[in-house]
Amino acid sequence: MADATTTITAPADQPAVRVEGRKCPSTRSRGPYEWTLIVLSTLFAAIAFWFVGSIFFKSLPAFHQQGLSLITGVGWNPTDGTAPSQYGLLTMIIGTVETSAIAIIFAVIIGTGTSLAINFFLPARLRTVVATMVELLAAIPSVVYGIWGILVLAPWVLNTFGPWLSSLPGGTAVFGTTLAGKSLLLAAIVLAVMILPTYVAISREVIGAVPHELVEASLSLGATKWQTLWRTVLPTGRIGLFGATSLALGRAFGETIAVSLLAGGVVQTNYHPLAEGTSLAAFIANQFGEAQGSDQIPALFAAGLVLMLMSFAMSILSTRLVARQRKAAMAS
Amino acid sequence: MTDLLSPVDSEVRAHVRERAEATRARRQAVSSIMTALCWAAIAVAAVPLVMILVELFSKGWSYISTSSFYTQLPQAPTLFSQNQLGGISNSLIGSLVLIVYACLAAVPIGIGIGVYLAEHDTKPAAVLRTVTATMIGAPSILMGLFAYSVIVIQFGVGFSILAGSFGLAVLMLPLIASTTELSVRNVPHTLREAGLALGARPSTTSLRIVIPAALTGIVTGCILAISRAVGETAVIYLVIGGTASAITWKPLDFGNGLPSTIYTDVQSSYSSQHDQAWGIALFLVLVIFVLSLAARIWSARKQKVRR
Repeated sequence: MADATTTITAPADQPAVRVEGRKCPSTRSRGPYEWTLIVLSTLFAAIAFWFVGSIFFKSLPAFHQQGLSLITGVGWNPTDGTAPSQYGLLTMIIGTVETSAIAIIFAVIIGTGTSLAINFFLPARLRTVVATMVELLAAIPSVVYGIWGILVLAPWVLNTFGPWLSSLPGGTAVFGTTLAGKSLLLAAIVLAVMILPTYVAISREVIGAVPHELVEASLSLGATKWQTLWRTVLPTGRIGLFGATSLALGRAFGETIAVSLLAGGVVQTNYHPLAEGTSLAAFIANQFGEAQGSDQIPALFAAGLVLMLMSFAMSILSTRLVARQRKAAMAS
Repeated sequence: MTDLLSPVDSEVRAHVRERAEATRARRQAVSSIMTALCWAAIAVAAVPLVMILVELFSKGWSYISTSSFYTQLPQAPTLFSQNQLGGISNSLIGSLVLIVYACLAAVPIGIGIGVYLAEHDTKPAAVLRTVTATMIGAPSILMGLFAYSVIVIQFGVGFSILAGSFGLAVLMLPLIASTTELSVRNVPHTLREAGLALGARPSTTSLRIVIPAALTGIVTGCILAISRAVGETAVIYLVIGGTASAITWKPLDFGNGLPSTIYTDVQSSYSSQHDQAWGIALFLVLVIFVLSLAARIWSARKQKVRR
């Protein structure tokens, strides 16, 4: 302390500096307001680390018991404790990736076309109405899409579409004998419908933000409308479109309710899109009620851990890619 | 001009022109096909969404337009009384209570974090910003698992409304924080500088000038976070208990929420339960539409006033 005061002591010709510096509100001083903010932020950081930690530590017993075969194995065979239970998450991991991949392909193709049409073909007056509608649709909770899928789409596939497919020549060879009401593909299609508004809400803005000069320059050079859209508009907006895709993909990854209602919830090795299956999130929801008080709980937390790692990896990857593309775009 | 050209030259020219014409025609054809496909994409996108809305209204309206929907308790269907449906008053109150408790925690903390992030460009703030962005992308069922391991097991509270609210609060926190940060950052820097130049402390400037200026955006963000939490199923389904048939607001009781009731109704084999699910779904969608339209209109009007 004494040391500090001696170094701070002002020279004789500028006596007032230190006193005034204390009186005027410095940006470095921390009053109760600043401390409140800091405490709240620290609290949030603590919650976030607790969040990761609790899922990690809760799943440890399952890894301890089975090792990595928990991730690479297939099957879900709880026992009453007389013999060791066997759990495998591979079916759920593949189911998650498969349903999200099919859904994102549908959503990106249809969604990009929709955004282009909204921005370039629709009359300007309709544009804001459609934009508002898309954003409202994006706010619909997933359980509503789930109920539509299970009460309308699944019976239709079972009673109308499936028999029709089977009656086609060669239909039974390709699609199996009869189509079950529930399948991975059905879940993926409902997922696609569900993430479409999310994707369009962002991609519409991204495409709308492409400078009009670029479009006009391209058209004036004699490019056709499609050439302009394909060679000028889409490449210009690719960073934003990529962000929209990864956001929609994240939603598909973590979607619980729709997949749990529609995929069938079967743990098996047939990964054909028309077969029944399940995803990580859906399986947790399906199994959680029955799992109380058994060694299934750590295994379900392990499923949660895998899902969390997948989703974190994807969000880091997309942040990196967006940053790199932005840098490249700035350099060029 | 043409006289000066040899017959070979004019032949070449004709050939080139022919090729150019063909290319142009091909490009035009591709362009019109792709344009048509873009229109088709709108149609393909709209059909299922319109179908869902039509189905919702046609199947749910008769149910939600009766007053018993809001005032009565549900009645479990039996084989002999399949069409005796009560209302959903317990889930309605349950959802309301869940959201209120979640907001009590998430709104003040979320706003605090958002303001902190907007006002600081330090290393810890950058880390916190990454954490917020990652939490926004985290699947909601993980919040359910978190609430289960912390509230239900670690604190020994058991399945309860409190656990559900905790999960929803963790879900809402990063959403509120990021929208708050954005709207505080959007406040013109001149306002803050004017406050500081007049001798106000940084805290006074924040509380009296910057936050009021950003309030529209903050409130909009909170409403959007609420409308997201209202429809969230996975979180509350895991930890809320789910089978309570009485109306309760006590945080330690078992509870019911609207989305989790839909989820259990849909899996029932009685068609009357399916009707109830459609009714609740329509009600939820209407609530969310009203919330987000209100947020939108309100923020648009405020912005107009400011200009």
